[in-house]
Amino acid sequence: MKRLRKAEAEDAPLKEAAAASALEDDLEEGAAAAAEPEEAPEVAGAGAGALEARADAAELAAVHGGAGTDPIEDSDEEGAAAPPQAIAAPRKAKGKAMAAPKPAKVKATGLAAGQKKAAAAKGKGRAAAGSPAPAAVKDELLIEGVAGGQASEDEGSPDAGDAAEGEEAGVSAAKAKPLKKAILTYPGDKAPAVKVEGVGTGAVAAAALHEDFNLDALATWAPGKPVPFAFLAATFEEISSESKRHAITRLLTNAIRAILATTPGDLLPAIYLCVNQVAPSHAGTELGIGDAILVKALAEATGRARDKVQHEYSESGDLGVVAFNARATQRTMFPLPPLMVASVFSTFREIARTEGTKSQEKKIKLITKLLVASKGIEPGYIMRALQGKLRIGLAEQTVLAALAQAVLLERGSKSESSNRDGSLAGRLQAAEQAVKLAYSQCPSYDLLLPALLAHPIMEVNEHVAFQPGVPVKPMLAKATTGITEVLDKFAGTDFTVEYKYDGERAQVHVLEDGRVAIYSRNSEDNTKKYPDIAASVPRLLQPGVRSVVLDCEAVAFDREEGKILPFQVLSTRARKDVKVADIKVQVCLFAFDCLYLDGRVLLQRPLTERRSALYSAVSEQPGELLFATAKTSADVEELGLFLNESVAAGTEGLIVKTLDSTYEPSRRSAHWLKLKKDYLEGVGDTFDVAVIGAWLGKGKRTGGYGSFLLAVYEPGEEELQTISKIGTGFSEEQLVQLSEQLKALVIPAPKPYYRYGETLVPDVWFDAKVVWEVKAADLSISPVHRAAAGLVDPTKGISIRFPRLVRVRDDKAAEDATSAEQVAEMYRKQVSTRTYKEVAEDY
Amino acid sequence: MFEARLTQGGLLKKLLDAVKDLVTDGNFDCSTTGFGLQAMDTSHVSLVSMMLRSDGFDHYRCDRNISMGMNLANMAKMLKCANDKDIVTMKAEDQGDTITFMFESENQERISDFELKLMDIDSEQLGIPDTEYTATVRMPSSEFQRICKDLASIGDTVLISVTKDGVKFSTSGDIGSANITIRQSTSADKPEDNTLIDMQEPVALTFALRYLNSFAKATPLSPTVTLSMSKELPVVVEYRISDIGHISFYLAPKIEDEEMDDNE
Repeated sequence: MKRLRKAEAEDAPLKEAAAASALEDDLEEGAAAAAEPEEAPEVAGAGAGALEARADAAELAAVHGGAGTDPIEDSDEEGAAAPPQAIAAPRKAKGKAMAAPKPAKVKATGLAAGQKKAAAAKGKGRAAAGSPAPAAVKDELLIEGVAGGQASEDEGSPDAGDAAEGEEAGVSAAKAKPLKKAILTYPGDKAPAVKVEGVGTGAVAAAALHEDFNLDALATWAPGKPVPFAFLAATFEEISSESKRHAITRLLTNAIRAILATTPGDLLPAIYLCVNQVAPSHAGTELGIGDAILVKALAEATGRARDKVQHEYSESGDLGVVAFNARATQRTMFPLPPLMVASVFSTFREIARTEGTKSQEKKIKLITKLLVASKGIEPGYIMRALQGKLRIGLAEQTVLAALAQAVLLERGSKSESSNRDGSLAGRLQAAEQAVKLAYSQCPSYDLLLPALLAHPIMEVNEHVAFQPGVPVKPMLAKATTGITEVLDKFAGTDFTVEYKYDGERAQVHVLEDGRVAIYSRNSEDNTKKYPDIAASVPRLLQPGVRSVVLDCEAVAFDREEGKILPFQVLSTRARKDVKVADIKVQVCLFAFDCLYLDGRVLLQRPLTERRSALYSAVSEQPGELLFATAKTSADVEELGLFLNESVAAGTEGLIVKTLDSTYEPSRRSAHWLKLKKDYLEGVGDTFDVAVIGAWLGKGKRTGGYGSFLLAVYEPGEEELQTISKIGTGFSEEQLVQLSEQLKALVIPAPKPYYRYGETLVPDVWFDAKVVWEVKAADLSISPVHRAAAGLVDPTKGISIRFPRLVRVRDDKAAEDATSAEQVAEMYRKQVSTRTYKEVAEDY
Repeated sequence: MFEARLTQGGLLKKLLDAVKDLVTDGNFDCSTTGFGLQAMDTSHVSLVSMMLRSDGFDHYRCDRNISMGMNLANMAKMLKCANDKDIVTMKAEDQGDTITFMFESENQERISDFELKLMDIDSEQLGIPDTEYTATVRMPSSEFQRICKDLASIGDTVLISVTKDGVKFSTSGDIGSANITIRQSTSADKPEDNTLIDMQEPVALTFALRYLNSFAKATPLSPTVTLSMSKELPVVVEYRISDIGHISFYLAPKIEDEEMDDNE
């Protein structure tokens, strides 16, 4: 940190460049947001999808966007779980940085970090900022090196955030030079400022940069020769130290262009490596090799003891880094031929497909072979890819965008790919949308890529279409806070309301040849899990129906009582190779959409049409297949009643859909809204609670607090009574900030007026000076929490379920917190207004 | 037709014990010169080169050069069934897919046949360059074994430095560090107990102890071991087997931190 600041102070040009680039970046980002208003929701959807948002907590997380605290929504694109990390970074601050590279704080660290002495890097950095464009590539890495290293060293200190920012500035400084020219000259002499409809200035500026593409600088291999894996690994490394989406897309676009221009046959494996898959997700072939196997292979390949490798892994938490460090210290007997993209990918595929006896040894052998031949940062990315966590902040949507841009620029006609009139950005965006649409309807690179290479990009959707047997990601619904919000949003449109069944999403494909396949929400093949459904669906087809794709919810069902069972029951069902005879938990399909019927793709058709297709395709059979209960009404009272009915029927609530909407695969669409029982009147209220204790964080929250103990105020007794524990709904950043604030309030023992459960004692106690406003799903009688004890139940207290932080109430003191009497009142109101309570207790 | 008869059956057992943990599979090459094996460990960090000359066998016949791929662990399982004093005969057809090990007890009262399935192993031809080494140390093999074992309990790697006075083995680890120096000596009663150093220029290289300890399993094959080193080249750890051949291990050195900074 210190060194970085010093370097800046000494070096005016660097500073200026940094400032200039920061400005540009702002511009770019703002424009990006403006250009793609739909992007954010989609992203949130993808993130939530990744988490398999089964948990109510996760659902809530998506709902209370207003709190602005959910990691899913905060994260750039890739979801919260995997902040990008360069492989090479932690080597510098030996041990120190390795010990705890905190992903959340130091977002990206560069390749060169730790390999260069700071002084050398500083000198070079200066040169980079002042020198013209061509020299920059190598030098920018060096600058990152300094900053990255510094950031790592400062880990854990409050300054770390600053260091990361500084680093970003440094990176931008180096990059600004080559970019600057294009941007500054753009409005005047180079290209007229054509405002493309719906395209932001950032996208236009980014498009202008494509003129600087220089194949010779990128492609180290001759045309037609296999693309080296090192090229891809270097691209990954660069991407990981970049945080701007435009910049990431451009890096990848250039890489893809280089492959297209030389060895297009290697594009498919390269794309698969970028998205870290070995086959379309419905094929069920996945990486995600267990750590034990990887550690063994790494020990074998590097000739080190397994427990040492294991130890380093547990210290750094990143096998990629361990692999990088290990390999770099041992020579081999003979130089090995370099790894190629195609061969790495085929080995990955082989590894993923290896099963049966001795599969572990076979896998280890294959992995060892890869590792032994790998150089530099390659082993790091091999390890991460095998784990199934690339961690470079490269979302699939970005890969698709880069793919589209690269194909247009490299394969499009001269007039399409040039930016002479400044309209390239618009065409790039159109290409992106075309490719994303094609992929969302036919999520298979095996089918998409050949079509992209064989036909003009804007015609891709004529050649790649939805087909039975290739599942699409299901359309998802957006959360709402209540009926009024739904009515507001759908004012003036026709909509329909369906029960939201609490089971597992099932996309049922019946193929021409009679095969039946059932796919999960994540496109996993669930046919073996539901042999009973697979057997019953063909029987239920209406006469003449040969092929159909249904969107359904598979729900545990009591056939004797004829009633729906809760999700918990469904989850007890075996997952693999279920035999019909052994099935204890019966399942009923609730069908609500039809995507395909006898050769007709219905995705683009309105819901009314899809629904009638559904009704004409299959017939209902109680206990096996039913149509989702639906109602069309715009009356608040009626909707409220229907919501209560739905809850009483054992479902989660309602889904409200506009009748003219198309089926939008993988989108959390604004055309579908969900209305859950949690948002029934009376529970949407917020509570002001005092923070009186905390538990230490684990995992990536290590060093701060992971969850907090909350209390309400009892003015009569002047007590603080615990009401809940809160551990979700914070962004990591916010958590750090809150932790810092609360650390100052730690007291050695609880105050005498704290009332808490003996079984719920936090790791640290706070002087109750901080008040948070939280939102909760539910109130319930609690044997642990003490809030309003004696007011509702003679001994037990009341707790709130799924609390989420809305905001910090700086204006309130602990005495101003919600009172115990208020809590009791809310609880009584909840009991009287809610009919589902009894239903819930039946479970 | 390949046939080779060795009175000292125990020798084969010992050889296998020395390599089976290092190399999983290997191609044994039989020619008129002898019976040999060259193989690298899976990490390609070390290489084993073993040769038993045809004149060292009691009987040796090899009509044409053949290469037999064997899993060394399985081969060791079979050889384990021989007594040390048994006479061992290896037999294989030119186009066959098995090799037969026949063990005859000293008094010819017990004869056993073991047939091992051969396997196809694609192995690169390993060209080991003939190098003039700048430093050679010959020392008692048991001494070398002890040093490697002792140091491995302290650290992972050993720095071997050769000067004209002696050879120094150093390591360091979490608990501390260790240095062992063996001086040149010519005075021992038995010549194999001497340590001889032949050096053009001083050399110091770092190696992973794990491998050296694995090599040291060849100690029973020879009373002495020779270490040959040159700057930045693999060390050769050679055990001469009297009257019949040798087993040599090559090990690529570790990359020093300093070098790494220069290279990158």
